[in-house]
Amino acid sequence: MTEPRGVPATSLADEKERALVAWLRDRGSVLLGFSGGVDSAYLASVAAEALGRERVLAVIGRSASYPEEQWRVAREVATHLDLPVAEIDTEEMADARYVSNPSNRCYFCKTELWSKLAPLARDRGLAVVIDGTNADDLSGHRPGMQAAREHGVRSPLAEVGMTKRDVRDRSRARGLPTWSQPSAPCLSSRLQYGLSVTPERLGQVERAERRLRDLGISGDLRVRHHGDLARVELSREMLALWLSPIPMRMMIAAVRAAGFARVAIDLRGFRSGSLNILNEVTAA
Amino acid sequence: MNVENLERALAEIGLHGIVEVRGSLAVLRMEADAGLADDELRFLAVDAAERNGFTHLALEVVDDADRAAIHRD
Repeated sequence: MTEPRGVPATSLADEKERALVAWLRDRGSVLLGFSGGVDSAYLASVAAEALGRERVLAVIGRSASYPEEQWRVAREVATHLDLPVAEIDTEEMADARYVSNPSNRCYFCKTELWSKLAPLARDRGLAVVIDGTNADDLSGHRPGMQAAREHGVRSPLAEVGMTKRDVRDRSRARGLPTWSQPSAPCLSSRLQYGLSVTPERLGQVERAERRLRDLGISGDLRVRHHGDLARVELSREMLALWLSPIPMRMMIAAVRAAGFARVAIDLRGFRSGSLNILNEVTAA
Repeated sequence: MNVENLERALAEIGLHGIVEVRGSLAVLRMEADAGLADDELRFLAVDAAERNGFTHLALEVVDDADRAAIHRD
C-alpha cells in the first residue's frame, strides 16, 4: 500500500489503529483465530483493550502442521496479554484433499478451522469471528481467504488498510514481544505442491528449522521440502555468513540430521511464496 | 530452460559443477563451495539461472560419499 507523501508512516498507522478500534467496538465482541504471530497478537492486544478481555476469545487451532515452537510462543503471548484462550484440535490431516497437497491446500485447512470456530463463537455469544489477515495479504495466492469468506470470517486489519509494516510499528509502540518476530506460516507450506502432507515430512521440516535456529540462524528461514532434497532459504544477510565453508557444512549436517538425504542452499535466499513461484501459481 | 547453457555460464564465473533440473529449480552440485558467500558472485549465478529460464538456483555441496553421483558418465 502506498502512503501519501509528507505524512509520517507512524501517524498513518495511528489513524488506522483508531479505525481498527472503532471497527471492533461496532461489533462488540469477537472470537479471534489466534496463532501467536505478529498479526493476530497485535489484533488480540487491540481487541482486548477496545472491548475488554471478557468480550474477546483467542482460539488456537492445533494440528501436526502447527509448529510446537509456534504453539509455545502463542501461549506466551496470550499470557503476556492476559487473554482468554481456548485450544481446539483441527483434523485437516484426515482430509485426503488436504493431504494430497494441491496448490489450494490452504482452502481445505481453513475450511476445517473456520467450520469449528464459527459454531464456537455462536455458543459463546460472540458477535463475529475474525482473523489476522492484513492488507498486504490481499495480494498473492491466498486460497485460505475463500474459506474465510464462506464462513463469514472478517479480517479487520485488512479492512482498515493495516499493512504488515503498520502492524509491526504499532506492535512495537505497544511493547508487544512479537513486533520483530519473523512470519511463521504453517509447516505444510514448506512442502512442494503434490508432495503429500504427512506427519513425518512435517516433522523433518520442523526439526531442520529448529536445528538451524539452534545454530544461530536468525531472521527469515524456510526449509523447503522437495522429497529427497531439502532446499534452505535464508535472509540475504544470513546467506553471506552461512555460505562460508565451515558454517555451510554445519548447516548441511544439521538439516541432514533432521532426516533429509540431500541439502541445497537457495542462492537467492528467502522469498515469500517461493513454492508458488516455482510452480507458477498466481493469484486468481 | 537450457541446462547446458546454464552450466556453461556458471563455469565462466568459476562455478564448475553439474546442474540437476527439478522443474524450474536448478540444483548446482559442486565439490566445493567456490566462494558463494560473496554477494556479487551469488548475484551473477542467480542471474545466469534466470536468463536460462530457471526461477530458483540452489547450491548442493557434495562430500566424498556423494562424489560418484555427480559424474554423469
